[in-house]
Amino acid sequence: MSTLVLLFNLSLRNILRYRRRNFFLFAAIAVAVGGTTLSNSLIRGWQVSMLETAVSGLTGHIKLQAPGFADDPSLQRAFSSDTQISLSQQIPVAGVTQRINLPAVISSERETRGVALVGVVPTQEDISLYRDLEIEGEGLTGANDGRLLIGKALAQTLQTRVGRRVVIIVQGADGKSRERGYRVSGVFDAPMRWPEKVLVFTGLDALQGTLAGDGLRDPITEISVVLSNEGDRAAAAAELAAAHPSLIVQDWRQMQPQIAEIVDMVEGVMVIWFFLIMSGLTFGLVNTLIASVMQRTQELGMLRALGMNKRLLLVQVVLECVGIMIVGVVAGLALGIVMVLALGDGIDLSAFSESVEAIGISTLLRPVLTVEDLLLFGGLSVLVGFFASYFPARRALKISPLMAMNR
Amino acid sequence: MTHSVPNAGPVSSGQESSVQESSQKDSLVKTPVVVCRGVKRIYQQDSVPVHALRGVDLEIQEGEFVSLAGPSGSGKSTLLNSIGGLDGFDAGTVTVGGTDLGALNSAELAELRLHKIGFVFQAYNLIPVLSAQENVEFILQLQGVPSQQRRERATEALASLGLGDLAHRRPGELSGGQQQRVATARAIVTKPVLLLADEPTANLDSKTTSELLEVLQQLNQQQGMTIVTATHDPIVMGFTSRQVAMLDGEIHQDTGSTG
Repeated sequence: MSTLVLLFNLSLRNILRYRRRNFFLFAAIAVAVGGTTLSNSLIRGWQVSMLETAVSGLTGHIKLQAPGFADDPSLQRAFSSDTQISLSQQIPVAGVTQRINLPAVISSERETRGVALVGVVPTQEDISLYRDLEIEGEGLTGANDGRLLIGKALAQTLQTRVGRRVVIIVQGADGKSRERGYRVSGVFDAPMRWPEKVLVFTGLDALQGTLAGDGLRDPITEISVVLSNEGDRAAAAAELAAAHPSLIVQDWRQMQPQIAEIVDMVEGVMVIWFFLIMSGLTFGLVNTLIASVMQRTQELGMLRALGMNKRLLLVQVVLECVGIMIVGVVAGLALGIVMVLALGDGIDLSAFSESVEAIGISTLLRPVLTVEDLLLFGGLSVLVGFFASYFPARRALKISPLMAMNR
Repeated sequence: MTHSVPNAGPVSSGQESSVQESSQKDSLVKTPVVVCRGVKRIYQQDSVPVHALRGVDLEIQEGEFVSLAGPSGSGKSTLLNSIGGLDGFDAGTVTVGGTDLGALNSAELAELRLHKIGFVFQAYNLIPVLSAQENVEFILQLQGVPSQQRRERATEALASLGLGDLAHRRPGELSGGQQQRVATARAIVTKPVLLLADEPTANLDSKTTSELLEVLQQLNQQQGMTIVTATHDPIVMGFTSRQVAMLDGEIHQDTGSTG
């Protein structure tokens, strides 16, 4: 222990000895680690955004539908709103909402478009994208509100506005088309463009009244469940599937497999990106550290001559390298945190809205920094320091005690 | 200028008794500290073999102060390096304090140097980031000496060489002579069996050279420390009790043991 303290002390003083050179080395490590921290926080933010988009885009973590509805969405494949959702206490639930979600056609005096007509209970929709809508005019006042809430993009296409009337054609429970005029209560602006083009909201009870037939009383076509923790998804899906054998239970990964694959890929992207940056840094680090050893050939030879064995010499060189790396990494992580905090409001990507929607994220990309990521990349950086120390250490081990005799 | 040398004598009780014998100038036979038999060293220089040592036989008794003299290329430094376990040899045997160096691996040689041999280099070779005190303590720390004892012994060694007031200065803040005295303190603080000095005064002026040589002489005469120095400086040779002159890798002249 005493020897280790001695070597640590010696390494620390050697680091301080070449202040200028090591300052630039620290700066290079700090900028690389800080830049990687920032870029990885943006990649993590992208992942979180995709996940949130996937979950909040009416899917939820888990969705329950009648068999066959996904292939032929009609009210004939509805189920009763009396269906009760309950999960064990170990699985906290953020919210549950019932909806009718059917394909429909909307027409104004000028245009006609295909849309998804969604009957909602507004008070239950604080778990979906509905809560983030910026509404011009009035929102739906309740499940009995028979007016329509349409997207800004759709309103522009239809050349309609708040207070105007539009016509909706939708298939009823009896298989026959229902045609009804609605007043536009509000026009919503969503974080993404697709809901503005496709979704049309109305009150669930009002829609049930419109579509009522001889079949089910108060039918619904889906129940969406949002959990408090994504990690509980599989267990919750299993419980719900067991409790409701007559319904199809799917989680968001099954319903949006492409998004799920991208979310999984992000973990790998972060690690690859980290190693790309760090491998570039490692070359510079190794070069500088070898130069440092070469510069002190006589001094290290003297240590060998005095009786310091190779193992201790190795430890001393490694301690120096890792010491430099640790200081640089800590500074880099601090720099990264500061940059992430500076970008706390996120990066506005609305200028590229079409493109960013294609990759499943919102137009506001917020960096996300987790303690796990900081620890992982901090730890990996120090490991890189160990790796980088191999080369100067190997060089140091080749130094003969005779080098001390150089004059 | 003279410095009093503290109790920095050899480690073993056998050596201590030998020192007493030396001071009493009795006629008992001394133990050889260094024995070289037929030592050969051949270097390859651009594929041409260079015979640095051509079968050197040398015996150095305990308590001797020996100078290895000779022109450049005579083999004096090569012999010193072989005795110190810093360099190998191609034929023959070298024993130091009874240990056959040819039988030791690199780690064992390091241990031997750490515990039995003190080195004073021409270029001082102090650790620049450590103070004089820390430089002297450094080698004790490698030996695993407890901190309190380490501090006391280093302080005593520095004080004995007139460096008590400079203990907290770093090498860069000391003159060449002071640095060489710190290096000497570092070499003697472990109470080695053998002190090897390679051109210790080459970078010093004549006054500082004399001061250092007086210190070495005192260590030899008062503590009975065995000292071998490679030099081509006649002043150094004048201070030693035995002069070994080397030429072309062989011992050309040896004034012989005075013991």
